Amino acid sequence: MSAAHNEPAHPGNAARLIELYYEQGWTDGLPVVPPSEESVGAMLAAAGLRGNDLIGEVFERHARLTADKVAVNAVLAGCRPAYMPVVVAAMRGLLHKDYHYHGAATSTGGSSVAVIVNGPIARELEINSGTNALGPGTRANATIGRAVRLTMMNALNTRAPKLDRSTLGNAGKYSLCFAENEAASPWEPLHVERGFKAGESTVTVFAAEGHIQIYNQLSADAETLCRTMADAMSQLGSMGIVGQPQTVVIFAGEHQEVFRKAGWSRARVRQCLYDHARRTIADAKRAGRLPGRLEPKDESTWRHAVARPEDILMVAAGGDAGAFSACLPGWGSGTLCRAVTTRIERP
Amino acid sequence: MLDGILLEQAGIPAVSIITAPFDETGREMAVSWGLPKYKYIGMPHPIANLTEDELNARADALIDPVVELLRQGQAD
Repeated sequence: MSAAHNEPAHPGNAARLIELYYEQGWTDGLPVVPPSEESVGAMLAAAGLRGNDLIGEVFERHARLTADKVAVNAVLAGCRPAYMPVVVAAMRGLLHKDYHYHGAATSTGGSSVAVIVNGPIARELEINSGTNALGPGTRANATIGRAVRLTMMNALNTRAPKLDRSTLGNAGKYSLCFAENEAASPWEPLHVERGFKAGESTVTVFAAEGHIQIYNQLSADAETLCRTMADAMSQLGSMGIVGQPQTVVIFAGEHQEVFRKAGWSRARVRQCLYDHARRTIADAKRAGRLPGRLEPKDESTWRHAVARPEDILMVAAGGDAGAFSACLPGWGSGTLCRAVTTRIERP
Repeated sequence: MLDGILLEQAGIPAVSIITAPFDETGREMAVSWGLPKYKYIGMPHPIANLTEDELNARADALIDPVVELLRQGQAD
């Protein structure tokens, strides 16, 4: 896409430019905010970057991502300049080799990018971690995730039906950004577990299938709640049964409280989820998810939804009322694509 | 697709095979590498749920086009 337009902010011009961006195929289907040299410059300044600073590369696509491209798309998405360091950190994470951008972004699996923000910046930018954290209505959540997707589409050529081959896609591909509710969590924050200091701000990016909501209003028992969650993690139609990708589990308020009261540590919850999120080889073969003739031993041989307990990423988010949590099954396999946590850098 | 392009760049003759619905994806990959006229072979989709006999039949049907493209090479 070309450089930002330098048009005066006249409402008629804005409407015309919005149509122009549609005509060029530079939107996600929703109207965009037409960029100007000034608004793009403000984005770059907020992240302490120059336009030609390299953010990362996608070898398979022979593509380089520079800061000006991220800035233009952050404006298009409706971001405030203060969000730009979060968007940049997310893009650095996506272009880290562990994420395997080309596979996750191109695949028929149609993954969304879950953008999970931790640390002081989440509160400063008022990124929603509470009621309706995964839903619409909060500018930071809506536009940070959208900026990531627009950058993927416009700067990294991730467009259907060419280099985005999502069979169905999912609604999270518009935006799936939320913060961890660190204050309410029974456990240490996600980024601390992943090696950062509590006072640092980070973004964790994760290639996710659509989220599966987990409902259990009756249980006040940690073990039974884990069994409910594990069932959602181990459905036969998920990619997990074969590829064992990582899984994010989002614990909302009432369920957080069950684990807090039970005194269960993060490690204990995760082990319990791992233990129960499994299917027999016989189940997988009967569903045609694994090849081969059914053998007697298949009835007692287990395949877990993730390869090891550490592949379950636990995050606290959502409202304090309602017995709902969720899991975000990962895309692909645990060896091909992994969540990446990146420090958010500000000038 | 990319493997074929990189092998050719390394001087090793190669043929990329793409299932039909991915034709425009393969073409876009070639365009990304500055090779909009890169030649490759198409085949029916899908593959993963075929029987061994069906797979063998697919492979048999590809032999002649693969040999032909190797003889022809990527040069126009």
